[in-house]
Amino acid sequence: MRSLIIEATEDTPLVYFNPSEGKFIMEKSSLPENAVEYYSPVLEWLKEYQQTPNPKTVFDFSLDYLNTASSKQIFEVIMMINKISAVSDVTLRWHYDSIDEDMLGLGKRFSHLVNIKFEFIEYENEDDFEI
Amino acid sequence: MHSEKDSINYNLVELAYQLFTRVKDSDFEYIYRGGFSQKISKNLLSLAESNVKNTAGRTDLKNRIYFVMVEGLQNITKHGDEPEAYLDIEDSGMFAIQRKLGKYYITTGNVINKESERSLKPKLDQLNILEKDQLNKLRKEVLVGGELSDKGGAGLGLIEMARKSGKKLVYEFEPVDDKASFFYFRTEIQGEQSLYQESAPSIVDDRSIEDVKSLHKKLNEENVLINFNGKFNRENILSILSVIKGQMNISSTSKKVYGIMVEMLQNISKHTNNIEENIKNRGIFFLSKKDNKFILTSGNYIHNSDIDGLVKKIDGINNLSAEDLYEQYNSVLLDITPSEKKTGLGFIDIKIKSENKIIYYFKEIDNNFSFFALQSTIQIKD
Repeated sequence: MRSLIIEATEDTPLVYFNPSEGKFIMEKSSLPENAVEYYSPVLEWLKEYQQTPNPKTVFDFSLDYLNTASSKQIFEVIMMINKISAVSDVTLRWHYDSIDEDMLGLGKRFSHLVNIKFEFIEYENEDDFEI
Repeated sequence: MHSEKDSINYNLVELAYQLFTRVKDSDFEYIYRGGFSQKISKNLLSLAESNVKNTAGRTDLKNRIYFVMVEGLQNITKHGDEPEAYLDIEDSGMFAIQRKLGKYYITTGNVINKESERSLKPKLDQLNILEKDQLNKLRKEVLVGGELSDKGGAGLGLIEMARKSGKKLVYEFEPVDDKASFFYFRTEIQGEQSLYQESAPSIVDDRSIEDVKSLHKKLNEENVLINFNGKFNRENILSILSVIKGQMNISSTSKKVYGIMVEMLQNISKHTNNIEENIKNRGIFFLSKKDNKFILTSGNYIHNSDIDGLVKKIDGINNLSAEDLYEQYNSVLLDITPSEKKTGLGFIDIKIKSENKIIYYFKEIDNNFSFFALQSTIQIKD
C-alpha cells in the first residue's frame, strides 16, 4: 500500500505513515483552524489501510501543541485506529513533553474511550523556547 | 453585562474595550513591552510585516515601513548600554506600530543614560531642521567619510529613518532618575495617498507621541506584555504565538498559556465569521502578568442576538466541577454530529488548562453589535 506523507508546516503536523517501513508517525504542532480539512486525507488513508493492514502496527504520536479543533480530529483518527486494532496488533505510543501535564492528560482520556493498547512515553523538551 | 464584578481583573476587560474602540476597524495597533533579543525582534518584525502587508498596498511603502522598524529595533538592542540598575525598566523597553487613518507610526522606547541623551538630542534636532535635499547630502557625506558621531553628526541609521519618513522625527526623554531617561522615539510614515506629495509640509503631530506614551503607561500599570489590536488571520496569529513563545521560558505554565492563547485567538475569527466583511476578524488580544498570574484577555464584535447563547454556554462550563468538565469533554468527542465550529471544546479546554473561571464581558456598541471580551487567568506554578 502507498505511504501517506504530509510535511509539517508551522501549524500542521508531520504525518509519516509508511506500512513497508512499519512506521506510523505523527509529530509536531497541530493548530489549524480548519482541522477537519487537514485530517480528512489522514482518515481516508487509515480507512484504506484497514483493508490490508500489517499484522502489527505501532503508531507514534508526538504532538507538542494541539488546538481543540485538532483534538477532536485526532480523536477521530484514534477511533479509526480502534477499528484497525480489530485486524492488526495495534499499539499507540503517545509521546509527551515531560512538563506537559495537559498533553499526558489528553492522551489518558483518549485511551479510556477506546480499546487500544496505549503506551505513554515521556520525553525531555527540546528547547524551542528562549531561556 | 459581565460575569464577576469583583474580579481583580475586571479593569482589564474594561481596558480591552477602551483600547478596542480607540482603533478604527481598518487600522491596527500593536505594542510589545519587554526584553529585546534578536529572536524576539525577528518575531516582532514578522508580525508587523504580516499586518503591513495586509494594509499597505504599495511595495515601496511597505519597504519604508519595514526599514524603519528594523532600524528602530536595532536601536533598542544596540543601545543596551544601561547596567543592571535599570533592568526592570530596561525590560520594559517597548516597540509599537500603529496604523491610524492610513498613516503608519513606529515608536520605540528604551532607557538611555543622560550622556547618551545629551549627545542624541542635538543630532535629532539637527536632522529635524534639514530639508530633503540637505538630508540626502548629509547621507552622502556620512557614507563617504564614515560616522560623524565624534563631530556631533547623526549616524546613518537616523539619517535614513528621517529620509524614509519624510516627516519630523518626534522624540521625548522622560526622566527616570538623575542618571537615566526613558527615550520615546516615533517615526511617522505617510500612507498611500500622500506618498508622492514631494513638497508636503512637515507638520509635526505632537499629540501622536503623547498618545502612545499614555497608552504605554496604561500597559505598564497593568503589566501588559503584548497587545494586538486589529484584524486576526492565520499569519498574524502564528506570529503573535511566536513572539510569546520567544518571550517565555518553557514551563508547564507557558505551555498552558500558549494553548489557551491559540483557542482565544482562533475564537476571534470564529466568532466574527458571520459578521460584515469590514469588521470580520477584527479583535484585540493582550497578555499580562500580575500577582504571579498570567492573564489573557481577548475581545471582538458579536451580534447582540448571540449574546444569550454564549453566556449560557460559558456559565454552564464555569459551573462544572473538574470531573464534570472531563465528562463534558468526552461527550463532545464522542458526539459525531456537530460541525467543527460547534465542538464547544474551546471553552472546556480553557477552563481545564487555566483551572479558573472564564470571565466574560459585554458592552453594547449599537443595535446590532456588542463588544465581547473573554478572560482567562493562570496561576504561575513553576
